[in-house]
Amino acid sequence: MASQGIGGTGLTDSGPSSHSHHNHNMPYAVYRGINPASTSFINQESSGFDFGELEEAFVLQGFKISNDEAKASLYAAAAATGKPAATLEMFPSWPMRFQQTPREKSKSREESTDSGSLSSRVQPHLEPESPISRKASSDHQQNTQEQQQQLQNMASNNPRTGGLQTELAASKSNSEKKKGAASTSERVLDPKTLRRLAQNREAAKKSRIRKKAYVQQLETSRMRLSQLEQELQRASSQGIFLGGGTTAGSNISSGAAIFDMEYSRWLDDDQRHMSELRTALQAHLSDGDLRLIVDGYIAHYDEIFCLKGVAAKSDVFHLITGMWTTPAERCFLWMGGFRPSELIKMLIGQLDPLTEQQVVGIYSLQQSSQQAEDALSQGLEQLQQSLIDTIATASLHDGMHHMALALGKLSNLEGFVRQADNLRQQTLHQLHRILTVRQAARCFLVIGEYYGRLRALSSLWLSRPRETLIADDNSCQ
Amino acid sequence: MQSWNGYLQEEIERMASRNAVVIFSKNTCCMCHAIKRLLCGMGVNPTVYELDDHNPTWQHALFSLLGSSSSSALPVVFIGGKLVGSMDSIMAAHINGTLVPLLKEAGALWL
Repeated sequence: MASQGIGGTGLTDSGPSSHSHHNHNMPYAVYRGINPASTSFINQESSGFDFGELEEAFVLQGFKISNDEAKASLYAAAAATGKPAATLEMFPSWPMRFQQTPREKSKSREESTDSGSLSSRVQPHLEPESPISRKASSDHQQNTQEQQQQLQNMASNNPRTGGLQTELAASKSNSEKKKGAASTSERVLDPKTLRRLAQNREAAKKSRIRKKAYVQQLETSRMRLSQLEQELQRASSQGIFLGGGTTAGSNISSGAAIFDMEYSRWLDDDQRHMSELRTALQAHLSDGDLRLIVDGYIAHYDEIFCLKGVAAKSDVFHLITGMWTTPAERCFLWMGGFRPSELIKMLIGQLDPLTEQQVVGIYSLQQSSQQAEDALSQGLEQLQQSLIDTIATASLHDGMHHMALALGKLSNLEGFVRQADNLRQQTLHQLHRILTVRQAARCFLVIGEYYGRLRALSSLWLSRPRETLIADDNSCQ
Repeated sequence: MQSWNGYLQEEIERMASRNAVVIFSKNTCCMCHAIKRLLCGMGVNPTVYELDDHNPTWQHALFSLLGSSSSSALPVVFIGGKLVGSMDSIMAAHINGTLVPLLKEAGALWL
């Protein structure tokens, strides 16, 4: 790993070449919060770098990055390595490493066409710094910062790569934020630094303006969305079927679309309830106050079961196939929702300390839930078998009759989803009864966080890097 | 019709009090199958009356016993001669821990 800073005085240093090569064999990678040490294996070459190894690193480490960003940053690196600005040709083209936060990533995508200005995100987090920073903290970090400075400089002299500065600046600001920006005290304010500072200020201003515009856009979209929701409510009450509707061009019934909207609102509420629980627990509220909050959370769950009941009437398939959930949740779906006994199993370890009576109560709850689940599952199996038989025996003559029969049987699906939700609701209520107020508060927080993580897992999975990340321009993702 | 319904209700109650656990079911009803599996799985030996698809008067009588608040769907369960309700009532009772004591009291379970 690199050890020393880039020579003594940063940009004006002359003769960093061979010396630096050995010191800056840092991998060039776009990633989030990665441990620096782990990427050192990626590239030991001094001139340019090996995309193959980089790709391998991505895949091996499973970073969450998007194709575009990765390419952008790689191109930036390539540009940096291939075409240094005239003033900086004394510096060899090493691979560089930088990091990005998710927020910065999305913003950088936005700003990719803004050439000639440094990324906004550098401000306001950026303290004016020079490549000469001699912070005692990790030299490695120093290198990163300094290299990024130089890279930015090179990039800024290269209009073609201007748009990619956003990546670099973002990472720069990120690493600064994370590691504590270099202090300005031992700075030598040379003209290059001054110019860079001025550019930073420029970029910051531009970024603030862009951010404002973006927020405006979000606001108007939000209003438009609520208007659409209202229209949808009106339309559904008139029984209109949405064709080519709201999800990715697939046909979705109005009942399902409405439920999806209400569910996403419920998820927002869930976040709110959870932070309320969290603060209440940390603030050590009285039991009475805490009880109100816990009761509120139970009511919040009652609400979703009620909504699901309505949705089951209009589109039971939407519920039972789990199209309203994220992929990871869908994978573990049981009869249109979570499996109560699994939830209790998950909770058992996290509810300590429990009295003996409570332990007995919880295990007994798990057992009765398991029995009820098995019974419902067997009932559903019988329904499926009966359906299969009905459809299979439909012949040319009485086909319609059999189809009518099958339709009738299908309508029983709603009953099973309702009973499953009923079971889920009863289980949560019983937990509430068994536990003390404080225990219940913690318990519901655990539940909320667990499902939050499961949902996050789905997002991470969907945006994980794929094998064709790098060289293939046509890779789809 | 009213008196026939009334007569059926009385007959139902008479049938229900003859055994510890009585289930009114229909052999094509899958939820009835589920409730049978649940109770049998707990070690109960319920008495099951399979209602006739072609003669809905028994079902009418049953549902009027249940009252308007309950869902008018089979199965309907009596424990110890008393009406407990349909699948949702049985499940709620099982989850909140009152079903097993009720069954024991009616002599349907021993431990």
